Amino acid sequence: MRPEFKVLKGFALAAAALACGFSAKPATAAEPLLIGYQMPLSGDRSQYGEAFRNSAEIKLKAFNAAGGVDGTPVEIVYEDSKNDPKEAIAIARKFADNPKILGVLGDFSSTVSMAAAEVYAKAGVPQLSQTASHPDYTKISKWQFRNITTQAYEGPFVADWMRGTGAKTVAIIAIQNDWGISAAENFETAFKAKGGKVTATEYFNPGTRDFRSILTKIGRSKPDAIYLCMFYEEGASALQQAKQLNVKSAMFSTSSLYSPKLIELGGDAVDGLRMASTFVPENPAKNVQTFVSEYKSNYGDAPNMFAAQAYDAVGIMLDALKTAGPKATRADLRDALAKTDDYPGVTGKTSFDPETREPQKELAKMEVKSGKFEVIQ
Amino acid sequence: MPDIFDAYFAQQIINGISLGLVYALVAIGFTLIFGILNVVNFAHGEIYTVGAFAGLLLIVGAAPPLLAVVLFVMAVGAAAGVGLERLAFRPIRRFSDEASLKSRAMREATLLSSLAVSIVAREVMAHVFGGEMRIIPQAALLQDVITVGPLTLTNGNLIIFGASVVMLGGLQFMLYRTRVGLSIRAVSNNVLGARHVGIDTNRTIVATFAIGSSLGAAAGILVGLYDGNIYPYMGFAPGIKAFVAMVMGGLSSIPGAVICALLLGISESVATDFLSSGWKDLIAYGLLVVTLIFFPQGLFGHGRERV
Repeated sequence: MRPEFKVLKGFALAAAALACGFSAKPATAAEPLLIGYQMPLSGDRSQYGEAFRNSAEIKLKAFNAAGGVDGTPVEIVYEDSKNDPKEAIAIARKFADNPKILGVLGDFSSTVSMAAAEVYAKAGVPQLSQTASHPDYTKISKWQFRNITTQAYEGPFVADWMRGTGAKTVAIIAIQNDWGISAAENFETAFKAKGGKVTATEYFNPGTRDFRSILTKIGRSKPDAIYLCMFYEEGASALQQAKQLNVKSAMFSTSSLYSPKLIELGGDAVDGLRMASTFVPENPAKNVQTFVSEYKSNYGDAPNMFAAQAYDAVGIMLDALKTAGPKATRADLRDALAKTDDYPGVTGKTSFDPETREPQKELAKMEVKSGKFEVIQ
Repeated sequence: MPDIFDAYFAQQIINGISLGLVYALVAIGFTLIFGILNVVNFAHGEIYTVGAFAGLLLIVGAAPPLLAVVLFVMAVGAAAGVGLERLAFRPIRRFSDEASLKSRAMREATLLSSLAVSIVAREVMAHVFGGEMRIIPQAALLQDVITVGPLTLTNGNLIIFGASVVMLGGLQFMLYRTRVGLSIRAVSNNVLGARHVGIDTNRTIVATFAIGSSLGAAAGILVGLYDGNIYPYMGFAPGIKAFVAMVMGGLSSIPGAVICALLLGISESVATDFLSSGWKDLIAYGLLVVTLIFFPQGLFGHGRERV
């Protein structure tokens, strides 16, 4: 068959596929493009993985319904990393060894994402994490991307805000992992640079739910404010126990505490907590409202910030795949990802710096007032 | 630094006692079962979680008074304990000759079967209820503040203290003043001997599981309401600390386990004052190692006598 005929045949098939509206899968176009997604689906961080998968399913369905990549559908292969670096490395090898997997999303925590990143860096697979915010993650190789502003960006933002409220002394309570340490250190450096004093930095082991000893210890120095670097479940417990122990300091936290569950779990102990966030479900923008209502109708709950980060990460990955086209290699996909510019996501417009591969987003200030998150100026 | 021994230090001791009592509540049922069977019941942490979930479902559904919740949870715990014994212990106990009773392989088999049941139970709960923390009605929480001078307590502290005293006292009464207690002590002393004098060893073992598990389940709901934390993985950390307390206390002495649990709680809490709290687990395990080096029988163990 002459080359021209091949092209013609391709057109004919594409036209046939269009005519069928993609409902009846034509034999030649049935081979879908594959994306891997590793996340914790069991173990004590499984709630985050569940939120990621929920969001990914919504985004993927909409993308394929809109025609996929020039008519070729995309499929996501999910793997359970249990939030364990060893599991993550095994999954990364599996994904890297499968030549059909063009790109990978995940993992959840910085520690686990960075373990997998070492494998993807060697194998040359583009990796986009929705949540890994450790500064070193994107420095591993040119294959790593993320869809979350790092603590190097958020920490100084909150430090500035806190100094603006007149706080001179602050105590930090942070989870003892790569992310928690970088959150605490970035904030501490910025707060000191702005003339503030850090009275104590206390790290706790993941899994801790009793913060009474830590709160009693930092209570001794009576700091003006306390900065919580943790997740919403620990946050709810820490805030309840702080109220119990009559701690009077102003409470600030990392954006990771942003979740409707925080208020349901913590009750009125959460009132007055302030944090920065990129995702606000009350945002009237059309894409945000579509996402929130889709998520609610499919899964019952309102999406939290993690779900939103994943929704946009999947969107960015699919967009890049579309740019790269149905015949794309892993390298083409990487280059397309690096060119992401003003992606209109639910967590704000996102651009990737082509050199550092760091995302640029806008942060909003939020405060919990009588059981509701409110955006403040 | 004399200024470290201030009201905050006293508060730290109180935090430590309440933490220690949490470990003690778990350790009581754990030690009881070990004392009889001489095997570690790894599923005790899951019985604790089952108790917390059962209690929470009742609270959300009917909001009865706390005592009713605890009694209901104890019934659920007893049923779960009997089920656990059927599933993980009895099938491996089917030979009752002397050789298999003393066989190490038999004991290690139940160690693994109880571990398997615990993993399955935990993941099933995570699958059915989701991995995240459950929402507890604010009114049900045991977090009402009681202020004593510069110190703060909660009603949860007092209730957990009361529950530990009642459980410990009740168990000692049951073991030394009732016929069930007598048969439990006989079986723990010598299974074959007990069988020869006509004690139904199977029934005694089932009774022990029911009692130990009902205490474990009650601990789960009380601690869940005190900490404001109920989720499928909640049983793991207290289970490990209770295990450490049991080993330190001499494996089969219930009062010994309680005392060691308090010791663990207080030292973890006070250590937070001097070290970063990330190191507090090191204190617990360090104490365990030191105990095992200097007191291989545990602090309160005395050779053969068990329970």
